Amino acid sequence: MPLLKLSHLRVSHGRVEALSDVSLVVEAGEIVALLGANGAGKTTTLRTISGLMRPDAGDVAFEGRSLVGLSPEMIVRAGIAHVPEGRRIFSGLTARENVLLGAANRPNLSRHAREAEADEVSALFPEIASFRDTLAWKLSGGQLQMVAVARGLMAKPKLLILDEPSLGLAPLIIQRVFDIIVEIRRRGTTVLLVEQNANMALSIADRGYVLETGRIVTSGCAAALGKNEAIKAAYLGQRAA
Amino acid sequence: MSALPQLIVAGIGMGSIYALVALGLVLIYRTTNVVNFAQGDFPMVGAFLLVICLFHAGMPYWAGILVALAGMAVFGGLFNLAVYYPLRNRSYLPVLISTLGASIFVQNTVLAAYGPQPANLPPLLPLRGFQVGGVFLDPQYLVIIVVSAALVLLQYLFFEKTYLGKKIQATAQDKETASLIGIPVRWMIMLTFVYSAVLGGVAGILVGPIMYFSIGMGTAIALKAFAATIIGGFGDIRGAILGGLGLGIIENLGAAYISVPYKDAFAFLVLFAFLMVLPQGIFGEKIAEKA
Repeated sequence: MPLLKLSHLRVSHGRVEALSDVSLVVEAGEIVALLGANGAGKTTTLRTISGLMRPDAGDVAFEGRSLVGLSPEMIVRAGIAHVPEGRRIFSGLTARENVLLGAANRPNLSRHAREAEADEVSALFPEIASFRDTLAWKLSGGQLQMVAVARGLMAKPKLLILDEPSLGLAPLIIQRVFDIIVEIRRRGTTVLLVEQNANMALSIADRGYVLETGRIVTSGCAAALGKNEAIKAAYLGQRAA
Repeated sequence: MSALPQLIVAGIGMGSIYALVALGLVLIYRTTNVVNFAQGDFPMVGAFLLVICLFHAGMPYWAGILVALAGMAVFGGLFNLAVYYPLRNRSYLPVLISTLGASIFVQNTVLAAYGPQPANLPPLLPLRGFQVGGVFLDPQYLVIIVVSAALVLLQYLFFEKTYLGKKIQATAQDKETASLIGIPVRWMIMLTFVYSAVLGGVAGILVGPIMYFSIGMGTAIALKAFAATIIGGFGDIRGAILGGLGLGIIENLGAAYISVPYKDAFAFLVLFAFLMVLPQGIFGEKIAEKA
């Protein structure tokens, strides 16, 4: 049984159809990349998985159980943490407070256990220590991304969904973020990654799917997708030779 | 002997009432983005609940206060369910109109239940006024100031030191992300309404002994609380407190030294001056910074 299975999802924003037919599978332990141009429906797919949008048809199954109709709060309790596009860190709280709030899906956790888990998660990002008590609106994009991923990990998810983690970051920081993603998978968390930076995403992913105007048009192992000339031309920002 | 210290104490007392109502207004505004036009009716309902407990049910003062505040908590919850919750996914305008309607409904419900005659509450502490260094102090104003200060302190500790407080702050800042990390947003909003109604109830119970009140008392208090939030910087908690206290002092001094009949006008003169010179208020951000 796959960890996550989307079957024939159809989703609309009002009267506009954003996804017409999306099916994909994420197996436990994988890094799966979801690629596509702007407006192809990547973010809509993720928002449907985490319950922010309801599908008109099709199903989202997590560990064999349908998530359709569950609230985002219930879905994060089921084990899916979604780090949204643009980080969406609470700007009036400190970095540390943001990380701690990531455990909000487990209300029975004691304060002590929560602090201990935050220390554990923050060990992945030694940088955070230097700005842990800084209000988030003062942080840089790279620092915010670290906080966002740490906050996502605080939910102890089985599946971590990352939406455009490289957006707006300097190349050196992007490399750092991707190293962290690899490390997260090595520690046992499955990752579903949406990226504009397809080269980067395919360099760490096991498999990939390509979305085009609300449909999956190609899928396959990351190495093969990276070499596919049509895809390079369309999405990877390189001209087919 | 100068009357100034006495006027300032009374001003801070009345200002604390404005500040409590303004705080409720700001808390609801921050979590729901809605300006609650029925905010002024919260103290009115609280004061009348206590009147009913004391004079009709014959409870002792302390029991009456507990029952009235518990009643305010229930009232806040029902207010959320009836006025905000059904419209939560709409824009701010339908909700704003819904709060206006609720204000009329609540006032007329109290009118039907209690009647139009004004009411008054006995003093909270059976103390006479006393003099300190030549300044005459009315203990009721001191009670107002002490209780309000304690509430503000408790609220500060709650929001800054507890996990639940952080969850409510997160909900106020970004509801969608809050739900995405597992914060039960609906309950956070419910709590905000309940707390805000209790704050209003406390304001009503505190102000009850120093004035005769009727079902319309909320209108004047709400207008001044609203003015206080604008002067302080709309949406800012420190601003609501400072604005409320400032207004209380200014209108008292204005009434004493300039004109008694224009007492209520001073608050709006100050509001007008702020709108002309510093429209974002003392702690507010400029609109341009929000974009």
